[in-house]
Amino acid sequence: MNLCAILLLLAFTTPSWGKEIEAFPALNLHNVNELKEATRVLEEELKLAARPQTYLLIDLGGSTIHIKSRGIGLHQIPIIAWSAESRENLKGIHRLVARPPVARRKIEPGAGVEQEPISLVDMPTDYVLSFSPSLSVTVVPSVSSDSLLQSAVLLGKVGWRNMKDWTSGFFTDRSSEPKSHLRLTLSVDHTQSLAWSLVDGMAVVIRRPTDK
Amino acid sequence: MGRIFLAISAVVLLLLLVVSTPTPSRVAPENSQSVQQPAVQDKADLRTLQARYKVLSKQLSQLMPNQPYILVDTARNRLYVKHQEQVVLDAIASTGSGTILDKPGEGNNRWIFDTPRGEFLVKSKLTNPTWIKPDWAFIEEGLAVPQNAADRAEQGVLGEYALGFGKGYFIHGTLYTRLLGKNVTHGCIRLNDSDLKGVYKLARVGTPIMIF
Repeated sequence: MNLCAILLLLAFTTPSWGKEIEAFPALNLHNVNELKEATRVLEEELKLAARPQTYLLIDLGGSTIHIKSRGIGLHQIPIIAWSAESRENLKGIHRLVARPPVARRKIEPGAGVEQEPISLVDMPTDYVLSFSPSLSVTVVPSVSSDSLLQSAVLLGKVGWRNMKDWTSGFFTDRSSEPKSHLRLTLSVDHTQSLAWSLVDGMAVVIRRPTDK
Repeated sequence: MGRIFLAISAVVLLLLLVVSTPTPSRVAPENSQSVQQPAVQDKADLRTLQARYKVLSKQLSQLMPNQPYILVDTARNRLYVKHQEQVVLDAIASTGSGTILDKPGEGNNRWIFDTPRGEFLVKSKLTNPTWIKPDWAFIEEGLAVPQNAADRAEQGVLGEYALGFGKGYFIHGTLYTRLLGKNVTHGCIRLNDSDLKGVYKLARVGTPIMIF
């Protein structure tokens, strides 16, 4: 028996790891494609978790956005639906160019009037996040709202966004710059929660689903 | 005659059987090897990937703090002290208001009263801290910024303890406990007296603070 065989034997007879947390608990450990994707994401995440920062893990397979730091899940946002253009390009680490704009209230010195603070409800509900290298993520709210009028407004906004996306795609030369595009549908509250938690320069890693 | 015919038939049948039965060398055609080899290769790939996935998961776990850490949710104004997955302390906090104040005589420069997001460390632990009022505290009230440093000191407004995490930001107490749970601060994190005492006891200099 050569050394490699002994090492292999040792590897497979070693008891399972002690207390480490399963990175993707629902992962099918017998699916080569799922494992390949999971290990790719983990390799990327390790680079991010080694530094003091918060980052995003968009888990399309698990339909969840994770806000993380040092590998710890700080907060989770469920994804209702998603779609992607050129899924194979959704790999690597991308950094947020700018967080969505927020309408901040200005304090008038000496006015003695306490300004209303900004809160989650001040956050936008549909927005486009631009990342570098080239990736754009469109976040839209789910239109399953209680109020019919509210639904109509949201539908109008989403329709307008779609039209803008289409026209910008039509008039720009896409062949010169390969651009990945991801579209996420979240609940209204969660679109605002995500906008709140974003930081300029924030890194994102995307775990793509594999065909079973 | 019949016996002879039977014997000849048996011999012919036997010969036919021998001729038509494939020899062991024929049983192992080249393509059977090519069918089995990918299966073996796939198994080896799967095992390699499984081992790689476990190693990466373990490496990620090792980046997680093995001591208690502070987690701050600025959207929902909550502070937690956690040890691994366990919540050791859960407190209602007040975090940054997100309002802005112009810096007089500095053009477009302004203060933005956000609690910083990201990962920080407890850098200092103070008892009975004195608030050294920064410029904005005077400007906000419409007062002149004092020239004498002693005029900036204010006792008793930060509670019994304060934990500094850099750039003038602290976790401290408050006189305005009715505002806990709201975004009302200038970026610091306020707690009530008992929660502040708990955090002070659990945290050390070097304890990670993760804010999102």
